[in-house]
Amino acid sequence: MLEIPGRKEICNKFREGGGRVAAVMPIHYPRELFRAFGVLPIEVWGPPGMDISHSAAHLQPYVCSMVHNMLAFLKTGGLDCADFIIVPHACDSLQGLGSLLVDFVRPPQPVFPLYMPRGRRPEDVEFFAQEFRKLYDWLSNLTGRRPSDEQLMESILMEERADKALAKLYDLRTEVSLSVRDFYRVVRTRQYFPAEEFVSFVERVIDEYSGNPPDGVPVIMSGIVPEPMEVLDEIQNLGGIVVGDDFACCGRRVYPAGSGEDPFIRMAWRIVHGPPDVTRGDLIEERFEHLMDKVKKTGAAGMIFYTVKFCEPELFDLPDMRRRLKEAGIPSVHVEVDINDPLSHQTITRIGAFLEVLI
Amino acid sequence: MKRDWRASIRYYWNVKVLGNAYLRWQRWRMERKGPPRRWRTDILAPPLKIGARTKELISRHYLEGRYANGHKPVAWVTSGAPVEILQALGYYVLYPENHGALCGARKVSVEISTEAENAGYSRDICSYARTDIGAMLSGKTPVGKLPKPDLLFACTNICQTVLFWYRVLAEHFKVPLIVIDTPFVYTSPQEYSIQYVKKQLENAVPIAEKVAGRKLSYKKLKQVMRYSRMAAELWLQVMERGKNRPAPISVFDQFIHMAPIVEMRGKPETVDFYAAMLREVDDRVKKGIGAVRNEQRRLLWDNLPIWYKLRELSEYLAERGVAVVASTYTMAWGELAPLIDPEKPFESMARTYIQPILNVGTGKKLEKMKRMIEEYHLDGAILHSDRSCKPYSIGQVDQRNRLIRDYGVPALLLEADHNDPRSYADEQARARLDAFIEMLY
Ligand code: SF4
Ligand code: SF4
Repeated sequence: MLEIPGRKEICNKFREGGGRVAAVMPIHYPRELFRAFGVLPIEVWGPPGMDISHSAAHLQPYVCSMVHNMLAFLKTGGLDCADFIIVPHACDSLQGLGSLLVDFVRPPQPVFPLYMPRGRRPEDVEFFAQEFRKLYDWLSNLTGRRPSDEQLMESILMEERADKALAKLYDLRTEVSLSVRDFYRVVRTRQYFPAEEFVSFVERVIDEYSGNPPDGVPVIMSGIVPEPMEVLDEIQNLGGIVVGDDFACCGRRVYPAGSGEDPFIRMAWRIVHGPPDVTRGDLIEERFEHLMDKVKKTGAAGMIFYTVKFCEPELFDLPDMRRRLKEAGIPSVHVEVDINDPLSHQTITRIGAFLEVLI
Repeated sequence: MKRDWRASIRYYWNVKVLGNAYLRWQRWRMERKGPPRRWRTDILAPPLKIGARTKELISRHYLEGRYANGHKPVAWVTSGAPVEILQALGYYVLYPENHGALCGARKVSVEISTEAENAGYSRDICSYARTDIGAMLSGKTPVGKLPKPDLLFACTNICQTVLFWYRVLAEHFKVPLIVIDTPFVYTSPQEYSIQYVKKQLENAVPIAEKVAGRKLSYKKLKQVMRYSRMAAELWLQVMERGKNRPAPISVFDQFIHMAPIVEMRGKPETVDFYAAMLREVDDRVKKGIGAVRNEQRRLLWDNLPIWYKLRELSEYLAERGVAVVASTYTMAWGELAPLIDPEKPFESMARTYIQPILNVGTGKKLEKMKRMIEEYHLDGAILHSDRSCKPYSIGQVDQRNRLIRDYGVPALLLEADHNDPRSYADEQARARLDAFIEMLY
């Protein structure tokens, strides 16, 4: 397996260099704004395999395991190395988590809930920019810094380069020899590597691993997060290769580069105009067309919807997405997981049966 | 929207002529009849007389819906949406959530939701949405027929679920979807958030005008807002009469009689309706009539009703001398009334619609509960932990604990689902309620 430093290592290294760290919950937020303050955002997606008795003191069992785990992780000291906690808004459950942290859980770190507008209208960009200005003031108060517009712009350009590197990595998926799991381990370093390290890391990986891509029937995955990541090994063992994805933690955040002089507007524009996302309110049709583009580009033969139990945003779209795909001749399968459960035989069998049909 | 003169004739004949006459006659009969045979007059006050009018209004609303297509533009809207714009444009507005509640109360929600579940919609999504999608896919409804929408209008001030849900409707009906996004108020509303909502409302007008095929009259909009405010104020007063001992109405009455304030805001008949209701409630206060005959203990209800258990719960509690007299849920359609300013329609709609209880933080909700407990002299609280409604339910574990720990108020977390009886465990609920009531005495 490819050697990749983990979150803890990166966090410690960054702090040793005098930086601070923000623990950031899913999904969308402006990385560049944090970096301009010398703060490294490290994302928290679960993590899987938590003991949710710690979160059950605040949350009902019908809340998704993602939110349960983030709270359990916090309560068991998992976020102790963070100076700040950021909770972007994406769904009712994340809204609830943000509110709980502010009102009742009150962790030792300051908490900033960040609201994401629902739409791609000019007023959505303007509102998001205002949220970022508020976040700027909040970070200013806590760090004593006030980065200039030039410094902000420098940071934006760096993140835009990192997003470009991520897009390139996706484009070259079928030209590098990385296993399915390793490929996603590299993609997911975007969740905690500083942008500059991410860019050089991706370039090195593309260089070192070029040629001899793994064989397999090409599929696309869609959902929130590919956890537990063993599922990716299983897909490859069963004869599949994931050639693209629409995961909220990965492919749904390959933001386009912005334009314009106002750093806040530019940061907001980039996210608002990212790939279609149900949590941002994009229509089912737009999501479908985006996925079909991916299918055409990658030659994918099928789609695996890999969702988290109780994840309403994904569950609402499923029937229509699957119907549309079927009409377009693309078979799909739906697998639902609780990220605390080990990968079940049932899941593996389901995916295996699906891949067999495609082969 | 294409107008069709034949549809207009059908509408006038079936709604205005036959329907109105029949519904008036039905109301007249109901007003003269005593309580239904199954009504427990030994423990409950007789049903409110206004019930006959509630029935008339709601039946007329759905009857109108049945014949609206082709005659009026039709919009499907979320329960917290700033509907005044659509009312002023002459839309017929359908509230899928209210229709869902009606299906729940008539005990047909499972049959209709199953249609959605069979089509692939998970049982883990909101049961209102499942009921609505099931009705859309199968045409099943207890009200005869639902009109097809020309416009979808979703406001996120109650949840994000409606955004996901209305996208499904947009996919099926292929009609425009207007989203009014109301940033969640974690602590206090930001001025730029209010301006954001205002801008969206202003931008919604040309879309709604285009679909309706007519221009918005600002004079009409102001009038609609005046009616909205008047009705909301009256509704608030009705609920506030619950501060009296004994309380003249219970929240179970409120759940039934809240339909007009949700789905007919901005209409003069809604104002008349709540004025009449207030008179009747005041009369009860004067005569010392309590909704529960032997009121011994008074409770707060938090979250949506359990529609399919209304009667059972109301009788169970009344038998034990418990009156549930206030609810954070029904309060949502009254408490913001003072913010409605017909002279500043867009600005005040933005300020009003950004802060209903479902769009404010968990701590603010606890403060509200605490205030209601004091003002209504309550002895405890039932927090319905609604499997379907995450925005309302997340936070309740801490709220319950703090009510007990910080304020010494007994509080019960009752696990259920507002519209899906399959998520209600009768025996378990009964056992928990029994233990809770024991604690109150
Ligand atoms: S898994 Fe789904 S429901 Fe849970 S936090 Fe993520 S988007 Fe929200
Ligand atoms: S019940 Fe809750 S989740 Fe469902 S539509 Fe209403 S507010 Fe939204």
